[in-house]
Parts: sequence; structure tokens; C-alpha cells
Amino acid sequence: MISLVPDWAWHYDSFWQAIRRRNLWFIKLRYGAVIMLLFLSFTSEFILDVTFSKVQWEVLILVTLSILIYNIILQYSRRFVKNDHVKFNPLHLSLIQMVLDLYALTLLVYYTGTIESPLYMLFIFHMIIGSMVLPGKIIYSTAFTTIIIFAALTFGEYYNLISHHSINGLLSAPVYNDIKYVIAFVSIFTFVMVMSVILANRIAKQLYKIEQDLFESYDKLKASEAEKQRYIMAVVHEIKSPIAALHSYLDLVLEKYLGPLNDAVEDKLKRARVRSDEAIKLIENVLKISKIRLLDEINKEEIDIKEIICSTISKQITVINTKKIKVSVNDKRTIKKKWLGDKLLLDLAFSNLVGNALKYVDKEGIVHINISGNESELMVAVSDNGIGIPEKDRENIFKDFYRASNIKKEFEGIGLGLSFVKQIVERHKGQIVVESPSKLGNEKNPGCCFTITLPYN
Amino acid sequence: MAVIALIDDDSDIVDAISLVLTSKNYNVVTASNADDGYKLVKEKSPDLIILDVMMNEQDDGFFLAQKLRRENVSAPILMLTSVSKSTGMDYRPGEILPVDEFVEKPITPLKLLENVERLLTLKAKE
Repeated sequence: MISLVPDWAWHYDSFWQAIRRRNLWFIKLRYGAVIMLLFLSFTSEFILDVTFSKVQWEVLILVTLSILIYNIILQYSRRFVKNDHVKFNPLHLSLIQMVLDLYALTLLVYYTGTIESPLYMLFIFHMIIGSMVLPGKIIYSTAFTTIIIFAALTFGEYYNLISHHSINGLLSAPVYNDIKYVIAFVSIFTFVMVMSVILANRIAKQLYKIEQDLFESYDKLKASEAEKQRYIMAVVHEIKSPIAALHSYLDLVLEKYLGPLNDAVEDKLKRARVRSDEAIKLIENVLKISKIRLLDEINKEEIDIKEIICSTISKQITVINTKKIKVSVNDKRTIKKKWLGDKLLLDLAFSNLVGNALKYVDKEGIVHINISGNESELMVAVSDNGIGIPEKDRENIFKDFYRASNIKKEFEGIGLGLSFVKQIVERHKGQIVVESPSKLGNEKNPGCCFTITLPYN
Repeated sequence: MAVIALIDDDSDIVDAISLVLTSKNYNVVTASNADDGYKLVKEKSPDLIILDVMMNEQDDGFFLAQKLRRENVSAPILMLTSVSKSTGMDYRPGEILPVDEFVEKPITPLKLLENVERLLTLKAKE
């Protein structure tokens, strides 16, 4: 198999996508060419007052039909061509298209008078398009072959070695038998052809080079981001060790392994434990975020979204009971399809969202979770009648370490939760939007509603 | 009473865990690195081993656990980690490593005792 793929390109998806797009574009263009050919064949007799011979008619119709047929075959078969740089790939399909087109075009040009045929311009147009897709060597040899064939036909006709088919009525006097014209024409044709191919190929190469640089920079950027995340993980991990030891001691003292405590001491130690708990949660969140940024891949396992939500709620049962919050889960789905995702990440996302809702509602507040969906996506809306999110903050709440301006100091937190939720949702190619006030809200407590949309594929 | 080997390079963690365990009358022996830990296990043949994943070297605990299992030390191993679930790198016991339980630090006294008792009963049944 001739290798048509530049070394740097084959492992880039976007390279293949570009080639596939171009192939499809050529196929569409070719349908246009078929229509144009039919139009010219049937109208030029009236408009230009020319007549085609029987052979010319036959060739015109035959070639046009052939183009139509092979174009249909190309359009159908392109789906089965895989992006494999060693096997038959989309670039080979481009080459086949080009060879077929050149063959059809040569026939059309020859049967409409070769040097007298205005269709010869299509050769140049064709070569420019080919230069954009195919590598230098291939396109130069194709251009060279085309020039040789064109010259052979012209001189062949001049020396009467092959018959000439001029369009009757197009020119007032034949030119194919004028040697000066033939030489001048073939020379200029060769010159224009060679220059167009060289220039177009150079430009295409430069474009590819720029594209390659872009890809390389992107890879480097990704690598340095990964390095940064690894560094963060290492540092944060180091910080966790002393805090874990501190925590163990606090537990030890508070659980009275070292003897009884007086109330004031116990009270302050409990506070200390709350704060060290907070530190550990923060560390764990940073580790989670680093991990999600570090890994491109997410697990794909079958997920029961309702089960995840219910287990999240059951984990928060203490808060729900102490604050007497009314929590309801409503599954309105009529279509229940399998949804694939990363269970661990979704657990985290929903525990963040539900946790927020429970945190920011008053005593006896309401939290509604609605699951709905259609053929293509799954939707989960978490709404509450809590403090809501002021309009000016809505844009920023998904950013790292951002906390809305109406959050009072007593609510502990650092503003990583929602940024984390957003990243998880985006990793699943989904979207998250927020509305505030929510339908459950009132004037005092506007509430908010987070809606997550997750596509099935 | 059951002998528990506790191997961790963080002396405060060792201290805190020992305190909890001795209060329940377990006989706790300790080591602060993988080499000493290995010798300790060989010498005292503990009923349970509590092992930290990362000591001086990364994965020290992993290698020690593997080495012990290869040498047919059958005492249950409770592995302490500081990564595990929070980063999604949660190994299930026995999946890639011959340990019986993974617990993320910090571990509360209650959870520690629960795990220790469970693993010891499990061992007694065998």
C-alpha cells in the first residue's frame, strides 16, 4: 500500500477528520459537476449555437453517467474506510477519486477538441485541489502524467496520428492544426500546471506544518498541565500526613482514651476537630480535582442515576433529619435507557449538588430532585428553596475557589464543589446550568435549580 | 491477647493507633520502616499486621505486603493509605494486592477497632 500519510499526522484525529471532510466535500462537488455537465450538454446547442456529433453525444452522456455512478459508489464506500495509516485509508480514497476524475476529464477534453476544448481549464483546477490533499511526490507525478497525456493528444491530433473531435460551430477556424498555436498552448499549459501544483502544494504543506506545530504545542501544554497536577497531588498529599496525625490525636483525646475531659476543653477540642475535618475535606477535594484533570479517560460503567441520587440522600440523612428538610426524588422518565459513566465521579458530583442544596436551605426547607429524559439525553434537576444565587455571581460559581457573595461565614466551604461538579459533567460530555430563583423559592428564599444534562452516547 | 504489628513511619500515627489498641488490651509491636517491619513480623508472628502504604519510599508498604505473602505469612493485613477513595484510586482488597482491607487515613478509633476485630475474627474462623 502506498503510504500517503505524513509521519506526524496519522495519530491525530483531527488530521483524519480534515481528510474525511475534504473527501466528502469533493463528492458533493462532483454531483455539482455532473449537473453542470448535463446542463452544458443540453443547453450549449441553443445558447452557443454549436452541434455535437453522435460520438460526442455518446461520450458526454457516458462519461457524465460514469462520474455519477462512481461518485455514488465513493459516497457509499467512504464510510467503511478506516483511519489506519498502514491500511487503505481516506487518503487512498482521495487518490482514487483524483485518478478517476482525471480519466473522465481526459476523455471529455479529448472528445470536445483537446486544444480547442474550454474544458482543459478543469485540469488545472483539479491539480490545485489535489495538491491540497495529496503529498508532493504523488501530485507531481500526476501533474507530469497529465501534461504528457495532454501534449501527446495535441501533437497526436496535429500529426493526424489520432482523430480530432472539434465541436462543430465553436471556433470559426480550427486551431489544432496550427503548429505555432499548439506549441504556445502546450508550453503555457505546462507552465501554469507546474506552477499551480508547486505553489498549491507549498501552501498546503505550510498549512499542515502550522497545524502540526499547533498540535505539538497542545500536547506540550497538556503534558505541563499534567505535571502541574501531579505536583499539586504530591504537595497536597504531603500536607495530608501531618493533618491525619493531628486528627488521630484529636480523636484519641475526644474519645477519652486518655481520661476524662472538662467541658470547656472538650468543646474547644471538638471545634478543633471540625476545622481539621474541613482541612482534610479540602485536601481530598483538591486531590480529586487533580486526578480528574490528570486523567483523560473516565470509567464507563452502567449507571443507575436514581440509585446514585438515593444513596447520596441516605448519606446525608443526619442533616435532613436535624434540619427537618423535605427531600423528594421524582423519576419522570418514560424512556429508561442504559447510561454509561464513571460511578465514582457521579457520586461525587451529586453529593456535592445535593449537599449544597441541604446546606443552603433553612430549617424545614424543600429540596426536589427531578429525573427526566428523552431519546438522546438524561436530565437531572436539583432545586431548593435556599438562599439562592445572586445574578452577579451566577457566571462565576463554577470557577475554582469562587463563593457567591450571599454565603454567610457560618457556611463552611471553599468554593471548589461546583467547579468540580462542572468538570465531572463535562467529562461526560454533558452540561450544567443554574437558575435562580427556582420554582420552589419565595421572596425571602429565592432558591436555585441546577440542571444537569447528560447525553446517552 | 492477639499480637498486632503496626508498621508506619509516622511516629505520631504509630503512637495514636497503639494507644487505642493497647487500651483494648491488644499486644502492639511497632516498626517505623519496611525492613524493620519485615524483621518484626518474622520474629513475633503477629495475628494482624497494620501497614502504611507509603513509608520512606513510595510503595514500600505494597512491596512489604507482597514479600510477606510470598513467604506464606498468612496474618491479615490492614493497609493504611492516604490516597485511596478521595482520588478514585481505590483498590479493592485482594484485587491487586494481597491485603485484606484498605483504610484511608485519618482513621477514627471506632473504625480502627471495628476493622481490627473483624479481621481477627475472620482469621480465627480459618
